[in-house]
Amino acid sequence: MAREIYAYKCRLCGTMHYPFRMVCKGCKQNDFFEFDTVPLPKSGKLLTFTRVYNLPAQYEVATLGLGIVELENGMRMLGQLEIDEPTIGMAVKGSVEVVRKETYDDYYGMVFTAA
Amino acid sequence: MRDVYVAGIGITTFTRLEYPLSEIASYASMMALKDAGVTEVDQLYVANMGAPRVNHQTALASAVADSLSLLPAGAAAIENGPASGAAAIKAGFQAVASGMDDVVLVAGVERMREVNNLEATDFVATLTHPLTEYIYGVTLPAHAAMFTRLYMEKYGVTERHLAMVGVKNQNAALNNEWAHLQQEISMEGILDSPEAMTNNPYVAEPLRFFDACPVSDGGAAIILVSEEKAKELGRPMIRLSGIGQATDTHAVFEREEPTDLLAVRKAAKDAFEMSGLTPEDIDVAELHDAFTILEIAESEEVGFFPKGEGHTALEKGETALGGKIPINVGGGLKGRGHPVGATGVAQAWEIVTQLRGDGGKRQVEGAKTGLSLNFGGFGNNVVCLTYVRED
Amino acid sequence: MSVDLEKILRPVESPMKPYEPKYMMLASGEAVVVRQVFRDEIPDLLKAVEPLLHVERDYYDVVAARVYAELLGYYQYRFQDQYVLALQVDGELAAIVNGRQVTPTLGLSLHTLALRRGLRIGAHGFAAKMEYHIDTLGHNEVLVVAESPIGFRRWMIEYKLEKRFHIPHELGGVPSWALTKELFDRARSKLVVGRRPVPPDLLDKAMDKILPPSDPPTPPLDPLAATRALYDPTATALVTQRWEMEKGAQNA
Repeated sequence: MAREIYAYKCRLCGTMHYPFRMVCKGCKQNDFFEFDTVPLPKSGKLLTFTRVYNLPAQYEVATLGLGIVELENGMRMLGQLEIDEPTIGMAVKGSVEVVRKETYDDYYGMVFTAA
Repeated sequence: MRDVYVAGIGITTFTRLEYPLSEIASYASMMALKDAGVTEVDQLYVANMGAPRVNHQTALASAVADSLSLLPAGAAAIENGPASGAAAIKAGFQAVASGMDDVVLVAGVERMREVNNLEATDFVATLTHPLTEYIYGVTLPAHAAMFTRLYMEKYGVTERHLAMVGVKNQNAALNNEWAHLQQEISMEGILDSPEAMTNNPYVAEPLRFFDACPVSDGGAAIILVSEEKAKELGRPMIRLSGIGQATDTHAVFEREEPTDLLAVRKAAKDAFEMSGLTPEDIDVAELHDAFTILEIAESEEVGFFPKGEGHTALEKGETALGGKIPINVGGGLKGRGHPVGATGVAQAWEIVTQLRGDGGKRQVEGAKTGLSLNFGGFGNNVVCLTYVRED
Repeated sequence: MSVDLEKILRPVESPMKPYEPKYMMLASGEAVVVRQVFRDEIPDLLKAVEPLLHVERDYYDVVAARVYAELLGYYQYRFQDQYVLALQVDGELAAIVNGRQVTPTLGLSLHTLALRRGLRIGAHGFAAKMEYHIDTLGHNEVLVVAESPIGFRRWMIEYKLEKRFHIPHELGGVPSWALTKELFDRARSKLVVGRRPVPPDLLDKAMDKILPPSDPPTPPLDPLAATRALYDPTATALVTQRWEMEKGAQNA
């Protein structure tokens, strides 16, 4: 089964959140956990991007592509890019993969490639 | 609410300082106490971001209070990311304005060079959203780079404009003996010569090495007092006339218009409202140029220039010493250095220096009003202060 | 029977093609000349290196001590096939890089000592010596180690060096890394710069004399060093003096 990254939909007013919040930013009424999880879409268009050269110490790669993607449903997320020459507005598709390793932990996140 | 005045200022050299953290804070504080002519304070606030993580020290304010023999004054450390300094000034302001305290010491301090550059970058990156930003390897330069790309696309800002800010501020630091970078740079050397791209490599595309502030150690301090006390002390009457603070989404990608810095806009608006000033009234400004793009964007959001015209104003020299609104004449974060917790206080130190007329070679002629903007996170926690000299 | 001991002690020097000088522009807009330094000018370098023995930060002390020994060894004919390149700005020494030829196909990098900071002079110097090894001397690879974190980041990460951990490096016997011709060619466009020939006036100035650096690295700064008060680390004397003067002016 493919891994997913979830958005959080308020049961009271339907506002979608990513990242998660304790209180709904739409109706501000959600004072306990009243969210449904909804998988984020995996395709969208690239809003902006960079290639980073000075990475935190635990990265073994020399550079890392990062970008902000506007997903099909209009929500946005940050992800790693595996695209040689990205351009603003290009179509991308994502998959959930290991994006950071610490000593005993793997962290999963979205990695985008050209669609 | 009582009026609040800055009666004393102090600073250390910004560079690599191999001193205990509390000593760096104390050096700056001693200068400020001496400058104000006080030996006792009611309260001190110490702004710092990384002591527990980088320097393995907690409860810094207690250490500083004792080191300065200010006991039994109240003391608390304030951690608010790179906006810790101005947030501590706000706390000090509230203490005096409320009538609770008459003399408050606000010190900012950071010692980031205790760890290597990569660890320092990672330490600052911990202010990003842990689950949706940090895990991807996002650093502050990466955020600034993605923001820059949008700014370039939308407003026509170029690498040349960024380099112009870098050259302006780094060379301005030559007039500030306390500044970290004491090395002149030229457009030819960082942009136009065949070797420029090797001299000035990418940190995060499209941002280059000379677009980013250095990693520095340093401390700065100011003394805030009531009007009565200020008159008694007899130092120049510099009133802290306006304070605005605002927050924005933690995850940068959530912002509706990604080229807007709404927290900057709101913080500046509130500070202007409180002080009864407008952007046109400001004689000298300190903006948070951790990256060159930020000086351009903030100069617009604060209201000095219309949105999208900061870079054209820069081209015309309006932000240089002698221009319409001189920005970062003491080098800014780019030239002075950016010990994160100290920066907000160091900005206040520069503005007060200017309003006292003590700026020397970097003095803005006849400066009577000033503004400083301390930018925390990637624009998710911003404090704006305005200052007025009363004669 | 007399034996000329000196003849035994002196290494027989292998022929090595000299380094062709080049120049480049620094971030400051100044031109830096990279050129080879031969035995007769070594004393000028020693004078500049000696004070750095006492700079106890950024590994200046250990690097300076070793460079001093290497240069002295070269000067007094106690070093096999060493070469020394100097980087000069307006005649002033900005960096020293050195290394040696182990075999006609293998080079060994000794040190990169930058006397001016914040302008990537060390990076330019390192690139120049790799250029000398690979392009001029025709070495297949160069053994490298770093003594400081700055060096490690620059060389190991920027050039993505290969491990040669089975070879103890001549500097302290630590595991070696290697820059191969292939890696160098890959880094060339980004990291190796310089223009040839050097304009005669620039070259003459550099060749004329190696001047000592006017602003060399100094021991760790005092936090209030900018006050320039040598025996007054807290600067209180200076500040107090200013107030006294101000008061005096008011009373007068």
